[in-house]
Amino acid sequence: MKTEISRRRFLQGSAALTVVGVSGAASALIKIEEKSEIANFALTKTQITGKLQKIPTLCEMCVNKCAAMARVEDGKLTKLNPNPLFPKSRNMLCARGNAGIQALEDPDRLKYPLIRVGERGEGKFKRVTWDEAYEHIKDKMVKILDEEKDNRSTIGFCAGEGMAEHTYASFMKDKIGSFNFVNHSSICLATTIAGYTLTLGGYGQADLDNAEYVIMAGANRAEAIVTPDTMDLFKRTKGRGTRLVVIDPRFTNTAAHADTWLPIEVGTDLAFVLALTYVAFMEGHYNKRFAQENMSDFEAYKKHIINNKYTPEWAESITGIKAEEIRKISRDFMAHAPRSIYYQGRRTAWSHQDYQLRRAQAIFTALGGGIDKKGGIVFGKKLPLGEHNIPSPSYDNAKERIEKDKAAVVGSSGSWIAWRNTVIDGTAPYQIRAFFAYKQNPMLSVPNTKKTKQMLEKMDLVVVIDTMPSDTVMMADVILPESVYLEREDPVKTFGGSEPSIALRKQVVEAKHDTKPVIEIMRGLGEKLSKPLFEISKKYDESLQGEIADRGEAVVYKEEGYDLADGYRHSQTAINHHMVASVYGEEAWDMLQEKGVFYPDMDKFFKKRSVNEYQYYPEHEKSYSVITGDLINEPYHDTCVDTEEIAVLKKDFRTATKKVACALYNLKEKKGIDAMPAWRNELYKPTPEGRFRFITGRHGQFTQSGSSNNALLLDLLSENHLWINKRVADEKGIGLDDMVEVKSSIGAIHIKAYPTEKIGSNVVFFAHGFGAESSELTLAHHRGANDNLIIEDHYEKAFGSAAMHETIVDIRRV
Amino acid sequence: MARYGMALDYKNCINCKACESACKEENGILLGADSHRIWVGVRGIEGVFPNLSIGSSSYQPSQCQQCDNAPCQSVCPTNATYYDDNGVVRVNPDQCILCTYCMQACPYDARYIDDRTMTVDKCNFCSDTRMIQGETTTACQATCPTKVRIFGDLDDPQSEISKVLRDREYYKLKEHLGTQPKLFYLT
Repeated sequence: MKTEISRRRFLQGSAALTVVGVSGAASALIKIEEKSEIANFALTKTQITGKLQKIPTLCEMCVNKCAAMARVEDGKLTKLNPNPLFPKSRNMLCARGNAGIQALEDPDRLKYPLIRVGERGEGKFKRVTWDEAYEHIKDKMVKILDEEKDNRSTIGFCAGEGMAEHTYASFMKDKIGSFNFVNHSSICLATTIAGYTLTLGGYGQADLDNAEYVIMAGANRAEAIVTPDTMDLFKRTKGRGTRLVVIDPRFTNTAAHADTWLPIEVGTDLAFVLALTYVAFMEGHYNKRFAQENMSDFEAYKKHIINNKYTPEWAESITGIKAEEIRKISRDFMAHAPRSIYYQGRRTAWSHQDYQLRRAQAIFTALGGGIDKKGGIVFGKKLPLGEHNIPSPSYDNAKERIEKDKAAVVGSSGSWIAWRNTVIDGTAPYQIRAFFAYKQNPMLSVPNTKKTKQMLEKMDLVVVIDTMPSDTVMMADVILPESVYLEREDPVKTFGGSEPSIALRKQVVEAKHDTKPVIEIMRGLGEKLSKPLFEISKKYDESLQGEIADRGEAVVYKEEGYDLADGYRHSQTAINHHMVASVYGEEAWDMLQEKGVFYPDMDKFFKKRSVNEYQYYPEHEKSYSVITGDLINEPYHDTCVDTEEIAVLKKDFRTATKKVACALYNLKEKKGIDAMPAWRNELYKPTPEGRFRFITGRHGQFTQSGSSNNALLLDLLSENHLWINKRVADEKGIGLDDMVEVKSSIGAIHIKAYPTEKIGSNVVFFAHGFGAESSELTLAHHRGANDNLIIEDHYEKAFGSAAMHETIVDIRRV
Repeated sequence: MARYGMALDYKNCINCKACESACKEENGILLGADSHRIWVGVRGIEGVFPNLSIGSSSYQPSQCQQCDNAPCQSVCPTNATYYDDNGVVRVNPDQCILCTYCMQACPYDARYIDDRTMTVDKCNFCSDTRMIQGETTTACQATCPTKVRIFGDLDDPQSEISKVLRDREYYKLKEHLGTQPKLFYLT
């Protein structure tokens, strides 16, 4: 039976008696058709049967690392509750956090090491011991590295974000010695990190707890939950302290909290920000003193904006946002400054102009003075940890990354798309012959799945470390099963911000299966690989031959770090203990063990304020303004409020000029990147009439492909749907849940439709992470659609970041 | 002895469904879209793109209203639905005969059938899971990212819920039916 109207309706208050159904609203989408299939995963009701333990952990259902207290009864995890002690996650655990138990209990988990026996991708594996798995990897690696004459970079490797990412990446990069690393950065936040860091000296943290005016463009903090941003913002929206302007082609749950929602033409945000800036300059509504003291090349930027005539009318013709709205937003922003923020954004892999967009946002925010300032973008403090140094050998024959010239600046975490395309298009200066993946599923997460598959097919060896049999795992030769986060202690982590702290993910339960945490996998691999790979280096590496002649083989092997396991022999607990106790003493370590969180004076500062709210630091102990500078005591009148406070400090920002950098001439000269944000018509293609631009995004009950098999989450959101404008859908004869084809130049997918007025007539959307092919994922298999089968592999040419919203598609009912 | 109620700062709600999943994990609710103890009501937005009425869209977290005069309790022929010492409307699975009168009587659609225990079940403010362990919050309250819920004793004038209800305006759902709900929506 298919029901479109939920039995549980929105019940109005007694004042207004109309009852409105939810047809067309999000909850109509949560029907589970294969109810019986999902209901098989019955949840355990809490019972008090015996020994009760509460063990602190940090969630890994997404990248946020919210603090949780695990309730363990007789050795069995029965509930994850929020840990109120952590300033970053402020006593909360979202739907995905609660569903962490399912990640542990999932019957489809990878339970032991496997080696492929059929064709690659065919899905036939045999169970092996850890030693057999390592042995297999060693044999392949020895052959490959011998043939490649010790060019360590012939081994490509990738990682998803996680607390053990560094353990893995440092092993692959520093110990094995390959430069060819790609991680989530270039398919996520590379452009906004680069834009804000180069402009302000840091990405910072939006102080949404104190901001009075927030422009949130494309970011969707109600659904793509980020802590503490999500919790801080939505307690103060709807006329309760923060004016929220949401710029988004879709009416999201975030837009539902906005004072103003303005749908924008996809890919035109830069024009919008430039026009906001133009208005501020022309009307003189900006913080002149802050600009004078703290912004470099300010006059040049002002001239650049005005001379280019980035007028609101010009922007209206590109963005679709009315000129009057642009004027109003610019004025309102400056009127609330410095407590005004143009929100930085997270996954900013949208368009070809993304990096300059982030620069323009940062400069516009700075024009209000809200940088390193309460209610603005703050940098805060980070509590230092002790050091854990591992000697790393240097390899003469390890060559530079293969895609280093494919964008102006390709950093050490690479450009995923450019790197993969370089592997398959024959332009690589040398061959990539092996590929290691940890906690990342590029088959679903990188635009153009077909090319990722081609890339993996070219390898002589594919090794994947993961917890679930993802589509990427199915392409592996060797599968090394990682323990899930609840089964392991991870490297202790320090969290910066206005309320800094250190938090620990402790092991909650014993590993259920024959799995290992990353540090132990690196130890095992290191012990197996050290000697054989050293022999290869001895054969080809002339510097090493010289060193051995001078100092003797045993000394060089040991002191130069050729023992690849040497940094991974201590237990994670022992390393964490050293990192914390060496700086803060044993008491701090004890507190961390017991409570999962530590910061100096926590026992004094931490207080319960109400049944829901806690104080982490008293107001005067919070680190809002941390950048030092010179006090200038002279009266100054400005258009912005709070003149005394903000106009008197000349700050030393952490940029090259020690000021907010309006122009970056160096990057222009050396790399050809525009020194100042400028709109480039040639980088923007309007959506052709009658066709659609495809955009993707996240969902509050579903992280990415990593949570795609989670029964509890699928109960909340069973699959993704295509958002399409209702009137357009009517014209095409497409109704709710009708199957449609979405076709781009690289592929086509089938997905159910969700006609709605919450999206414009030339844009379509569906959530990322669904549509797994892996038959080993009982629940995720062929559920919904994979966006990366249709997203074309465009990337912007400044930092090599994916441009995921540049794909034009056609829609038809099937 | 207490009289438990809940105030909801519903304007904070972002429809993230953390409450729903925490409730399921805590209370062992069988999965399936209609078997929820709690849910978030979504009112569809009015208007035509791009002129949508933001105010028309809102989220209403909801669950059993814990009525002081509960129709589901008065119609129950076997007294399976009863008030406990804390004024919480609860269900005794041993006495429930699945006649479903309570489902018909409840004006809030708050009751559902648990196929496993063969009971018409409902929210009980985590009485048998959390309160019994000495917790002072329900699972839904504890987990909520934007802190919508305040649970507490309405008979204790010092409790936070009592203070909030003295200081702030609120409404109740379908109050005209005389059910005397103990869920308060703060405005």
